[in-house]
Amino acid sequence: MKKLSALAAALLGVLAFSVTAMAESPAGETGTAVPSLLYCIPFAGILLCIALFPLVKPTWWEEHQAPVVLAWSLAFIVPFVIGFGAHHTAEVVLECIINDYLTFIVLLFGLFCVAGNITLEGDLAGSPRINVGLLLFGTLLSSWVGTTGASMLMVRPIIKMNSWRKRKRHIMIFFIFLISNIGGCLTPIGDPPLLMGFMRGVPFFWSLRLLPILAFNAAVLLFVFYHLDMRAYRKDIAEGRKPDISKPGTEIRIAGLHNLIFLAAIVVAVLLSGTLPSLPLFRNADGTVRGIPILGEVTLTWPAVIEIAIILASAWLSFRTTSAKVRTENHFTWGAIKEVAILFIGIFITMQPALMILKANGASLGLDSPYQMFWATGALSSFLDNTPTYLVFLTTAGSLGFTEGIATALGTVPAKMLVAISCGAVFMGANTYIGNAPNFMVKSISDENGVRMPSFFGYILWSLGFLIPVFILDTLIFFL
Amino acid sequence: MKQHREERIALATRIYELDGEVYRCLGSNLGRVFTGKRDATIEELARLMCSSEKSHYLRSELALISNMARTIQDKPTRARLMREYDSILQEVESLPTSFGRVDILDEQMASLNAASLSDRFGKGDHLVICIGRTYGSAGTDIGFALADALHINYYDTEIFTEVLERLEAEQDHVSDFVSFSHEKNPNVTGDIHDRKMTLKQRIREFSRYHGLSKRDAIFFNESDLLCEKARTEDFIIMGRCGDRILSHNGIPHLSVFITAPFEKRVQRIMATDDLTEKQARKLLKTLDRRHGSYYNFYTGRRWGDPNSYDLCINSASYGIEGSVELIKRMVDRQSYKKPASNK
Repeated sequence: MKKLSALAAALLGVLAFSVTAMAESPAGETGTAVPSLLYCIPFAGILLCIALFPLVKPTWWEEHQAPVVLAWSLAFIVPFVIGFGAHHTAEVVLECIINDYLTFIVLLFGLFCVAGNITLEGDLAGSPRINVGLLLFGTLLSSWVGTTGASMLMVRPIIKMNSWRKRKRHIMIFFIFLISNIGGCLTPIGDPPLLMGFMRGVPFFWSLRLLPILAFNAAVLLFVFYHLDMRAYRKDIAEGRKPDISKPGTEIRIAGLHNLIFLAAIVVAVLLSGTLPSLPLFRNADGTVRGIPILGEVTLTWPAVIEIAIILASAWLSFRTTSAKVRTENHFTWGAIKEVAILFIGIFITMQPALMILKANGASLGLDSPYQMFWATGALSSFLDNTPTYLVFLTTAGSLGFTEGIATALGTVPAKMLVAISCGAVFMGANTYIGNAPNFMVKSISDENGVRMPSFFGYILWSLGFLIPVFILDTLIFFL
Repeated sequence: MKQHREERIALATRIYELDGEVYRCLGSNLGRVFTGKRDATIEELARLMCSSEKSHYLRSELALISNMARTIQDKPTRARLMREYDSILQEVESLPTSFGRVDILDEQMASLNAASLSDRFGKGDHLVICIGRTYGSAGTDIGFALADALHINYYDTEIFTEVLERLEAEQDHVSDFVSFSHEKNPNVTGDIHDRKMTLKQRIREFSRYHGLSKRDAIFFNESDLLCEKARTEDFIIMGRCGDRILSHNGIPHLSVFITAPFEKRVQRIMATDDLTEKQARKLLKTLDRRHGSYYNFYTGRRWGDPNSYDLCINSASYGIEGSVELIKRMVDRQSYKKPASNK
């Protein structure tokens, strides 16, 4: 009863805020495409809830994530309806749910299911050199199966190998840095922003030019990680912890290996979603992509339907063909994906005004050099969806009138500028838990399996301490 | 004080058992919250309960158990375990903050000091003496003579040989990192053969040592072996961080460190190893550094620091026989009760 009253009070507060926001919305803006900054308050609110509630009211937060997300979403929708009209609001919300959120969550769901059906059995002991090896392998894998695919595939084996250790949160944090983000920069399969670039005319293998930057970042971060991990490892041993290595020799067995076929199918589905829209078969006479009309200009495109169908079929087949024992050994639960699904629908909806403001003002920000593009794209990708952020700055760069560089559908962009935008969007997704899809999944799976992950702000401190200095070095070496 | 301690131990045991049951019910193999030895973990939890500045650690550990418990599929089991979790949480929250202010006594240190030595060994415990020593202090001779005087086993490189058998490793591919047996060639290390290995051999080594370095794999196996032996026989173990390994596993033992002034050690090894003074000084410095680094790596403590041992002996003051007599008197005084099997 008490909890219900608290929730009702929160909802009343949100409604009161809605009225205030509406009142402060300038009448002149009604009907225009650019909302006022006030509309970004629900986005900030939802981020603060994600950051603070797990610290101050963890149990309450776990039970009330959905109503809180709904309340913040309404806090954006209600004033937006008043300011911009119901039809426009419905279009904005449906566009983000159908075209952004749906494919995002289905991809995450598919990879979560398939990777959850693969388990590594063996007694390889988590030690600094093993961990460096695994992080390096995962980083290189990310560009070929996607940051989400590599994260889902590697997260459980790494947790398992390090289960004997007490100090292991840094392992999962560097996992997010390298496997869930930085490693995905080499191909359009790696990270969605690069897929968007590929769809706009950037050649498929062009991103391989980012290899020296990836190598530099990975080398610096793995060097730092090795020393951090060695310190933690020594402390664990000094406390009397040790892995079970009583049997001579290591036997490594992977159960559910056939699921790699379904993983490959998902990767193909992602690739198709990027290539099919350019084929005439999928295009209308006016150049728009064919699909199922939802409302106004909102359409669920056929390439998206094909992608969703392949991913869901892969997930279903993976479940049908894998023994439940594998999932039990993997401690497979729906908790992590459920949490991400609930929180990210709120994040996707409430960040729309921020994206609209960015789209409207991106070109007038006066950014014309690679280092500015790197930091602007990166800073915004840390909190907003990195795909539209990448597109905004690619459009800005394309409109600057350069005549030499990579010819894209948005104009010619100098190679150095495109490198900076790509690196900013891909690398700086690692700055926060919400910067890239797999970050939160890795956090949730770690939380469920005995790893005490830092809070939202705690994680940002790790980024400030270890990632930002590397990005400053990147700026000095590659972007000035 | 004692009653409070018993309450804390009982509560810590419930927490440990809840974690175990949650893990069992999940059937997962990704690891549980408390992966350490049962007794040591319970002691640690009980200590956290009386330390107000570390109480947040206890809270976080409990939160991790509840995270896992909430994912149990079977509803009645989940409900039962969550009830137990709530009950434990209530008790933890109701712990009087004064627990940590009752006494200045450090229970962990007190359990190891000489005053309580008479209570250290229970009826079924075996007599285990861990001797750390510097090279040239005659520590090895003292240990050997003591084992002879007490009629108990003496282990030094024997432990290493047994570990190699367990690992199915060949002795000529690995050096004993902590033994003084290669003292005349202090530059020899366990990894010297790595440079000569082929890729196939490297893969075999990787598999044999579970991906760990040789040194770590051997240390972990030595730890297991020492604990097994301590549960079945009386013995003296020379070095190998035996004191810390047994402490972590809650196995009663006496820890002794034997050293002598540097100049006396130099003179002794010049005589015993037929070295010049320069060679002797260099050898001693190298071995001291290597043993200090090894002990510090695996225990987090400083080698030879008096705080880490029950007894530190300057062998130059007592000689070999005097040192043996001193330790023997200490063992006799603590009224060690021999287990039936050793009578």
